Amino acid sequence: MKNKNQIPATILLVLGAVLTAGGIFLLVNRFSPMWSFSHKYMTDNAIFVMLGILGLFLGVVGLLLSRSLFKEGREIQEGEGLKQHMGMKASARISNTVIYVLLVLISIVWLVPFFCIVVQSFRVNPTGMTRYLFNNPDAALKEGLTIRFGLDNYRRLFQETKFPRWYLNTFIIAVVVAVVQTIIVLCMSYTLSRFRFKLRKPLMQFMLILGMFPGMLTMIILYQVLKDIGLAGANAMPGLILVYVASSGMGYYVSKGFFDTIPKSLDEAARIDGATRAQVLYKIILPLAKPIVIYTVLTAFMGPWGDFVFAKYVTGVTPEAWNVAVGLQQWLSTSTNISENYTMFCAGGVIVAIPVVILFMCLQKYYVEGVTGGAVKG
Amino acid sequence: MASVKLTNVKKVYDNNVVAVHDFNLDIKDKEFVVFVGPSGCGKSTTLRMVAGLEDISGGTVEIDGEVVNDLQPKDRNIAMVFQNYALYPHMSVYDNIAFSLRLQKMPEDVIYSKVTNAAEILGITDYLMRKPRALSGGQRQRVAIGRAMVRDSKVFLMDEPLSNLDAKLRNQMRAEIILLRQKLNTTFIYVTHDQTEAMTLGDRIVIMKDGYIQQVGTPAEVFEKPTNLFVAEFIGAPKMNIVKTDLVKEGNRYFVTPCGSRIEVTGEKGELLNEKCVPSGSILLGVRPEHMKLAFAPGENTMSARLEVNEMMGSELHLHVFTEDGTRWIVRVPTIDLTQEQRASLKNGAQVYITFEGKVMHFFDPETEKNLIY
Repeated sequence: MKNKNQIPATILLVLGAVLTAGGIFLLVNRFSPMWSFSHKYMTDNAIFVMLGILGLFLGVVGLLLSRSLFKEGREIQEGEGLKQHMGMKASARISNTVIYVLLVLISIVWLVPFFCIVVQSFRVNPTGMTRYLFNNPDAALKEGLTIRFGLDNYRRLFQETKFPRWYLNTFIIAVVVAVVQTIIVLCMSYTLSRFRFKLRKPLMQFMLILGMFPGMLTMIILYQVLKDIGLAGANAMPGLILVYVASSGMGYYVSKGFFDTIPKSLDEAARIDGATRAQVLYKIILPLAKPIVIYTVLTAFMGPWGDFVFAKYVTGVTPEAWNVAVGLQQWLSTSTNISENYTMFCAGGVIVAIPVVILFMCLQKYYVEGVTGGAVKG
Repeated sequence: MASVKLTNVKKVYDNNVVAVHDFNLDIKDKEFVVFVGPSGCGKSTTLRMVAGLEDISGGTVEIDGEVVNDLQPKDRNIAMVFQNYALYPHMSVYDNIAFSLRLQKMPEDVIYSKVTNAAEILGITDYLMRKPRALSGGQRQRVAIGRAMVRDSKVFLMDEPLSNLDAKLRNQMRAEIILLRQKLNTTFIYVTHDQTEAMTLGDRIVIMKDGYIQQVGTPAEVFEKPTNLFVAEFIGAPKMNIVKTDLVKEGNRYFVTPCGSRIEVTGEKGELLNEKCVPSGSILLGVRPEHMKLAFAPGENTMSARLEVNEMMGSELHLHVFTEDGTRWIVRVPTIDLTQEQRASLKNGAQVYITFEGKVMHFFDPETEKNLIY
């Protein structure tokens, strides 16, 4: 054996290949009834579908891992090849393998529901929640249906329901809250990081303690207040924006911590160069704190985008004022609803996920550090 | 180009620590003033109060006759160079220098000519498109100076601008600051803890300690006529020898008696002692190392001493010797004044003889530490 590292790598390679092949076979088999040779004996194909997905995942990760192991093994061989060094590498390899396997399992647990929702959303015939994702001939026979895939649910979503309205409501609320809350949080953080004023410390402690109370505690009184000023029910949108934005100043911790790491002499230099405090913030601090600005925008957007409890409470029984979470939940509120709307619910879920996914994809590249290099001596 | 006047300026921090006491100084137009002192003496705080980066707890700061206490830094028309450069890391060198001009909404072509002009003077033209992190310490400090230069401000403030550079680069940049000063021809306030920088750069030096001004004067004044022990020891390297001894008055003549010798005070110093009618008594005697004389045989008024450390500095030797009463003296001898044999004999533990002339002495009150004649 040329190299110890090739043992786990080879095992992984073989395992990966077998699992991938098995996974592909199972998936293709379940997708296409024509290929199915044993469905008489299968009562629940979902298990096989799951196994197939699992196999695919494990297989692909195994292949990737074995590739990198082979590469590293070669590097070590070509390098100085110290015995001790190699020993350490081998044990590191084993723990790495364990970690990767664990990560793969966790990612499967994470991803399976998404996968199911996406598949269900394309199902044409309305059903309740099923234990199978693709064609299950037995179940189909029982229901007297052939399971077909198409965009039917999406069409229904936009043509026959109030979903577009809910979507618009949620979008407006989330965008307004994202903008306003980001501005408030960043200004708050800058103030607490750079200014020294009386009661600064007590204020921070007060907000810390206040933040420990769950927001739900105030729900009933908030509803009462909103109702009294006419911002509940049909007018819930400004009311909800108000509620979401109101406490945003308290979320200053993360960005204040980041601002604290930016040297104060940069502020001072800019102020001497003729900048006002506001110009210092948006010309010097914010470009340097890009990752934290992105983080703030994302969290500010995500909060109202997925909120259910407050929205449900404040909007009440006015469907025009609902947001997506409340609206979608309504489709599943009774068992009749479930059997009629479940696949449409899944389609709605997919549509709701789209802006968030786009937002993350656009902004994730700014999650990089190291922009402060060279500012001051170091 | 402006005068700066500080009247009774005071800085008290929130925890009631007084950083600067009653600071009074009148800086003339186009003057180069250096604040010097050990760390924590309040020199940077004073500078930052002039810049507007620290609140002024008491007194007034005037720039060009206008009280600026309540003005924001941006409204004071000052430029400042920081010890840690404080370059904006996300901007190129060009943008760094142009930042203040852009804030003034200057047209881009004017900015271009100003920035390139400054870059040429500082020799950083090749780096204009780089980010600060791709520059060396010296280059960064040039950029910081360039950023301050383009502003055509009334006062140029520098807060230990050379402290982060290595010794060689520091000497080079010091010379460049002198040249820069000639080109800019504006009022400079320069803070440093390094007395060499203070001596070489300043028209006037302000020596500070614990928030108090110790002495204000030209480099020659503070060197030759230190008002107190602290200034005498702080200015000059190696530092002045200070010996507790007796001053003896005999008629119109004064003598000092360190370590059994008896040396007459001559020249201007003797006259001044007479003028001030200084009585006989215990004093602190100060003699600069370069005024000490080294002998290899006993002579008139010599003190016998044992050599402990011989520091060869190249052009000169710093000899640390101990006289018989245990007093430590530093003697600075130009290497060229010694023969080869004499140099060879200066080994640790060697017996040498030291003395000094009557006109080079400084006299300090042992209690108040004030200079007795100035």
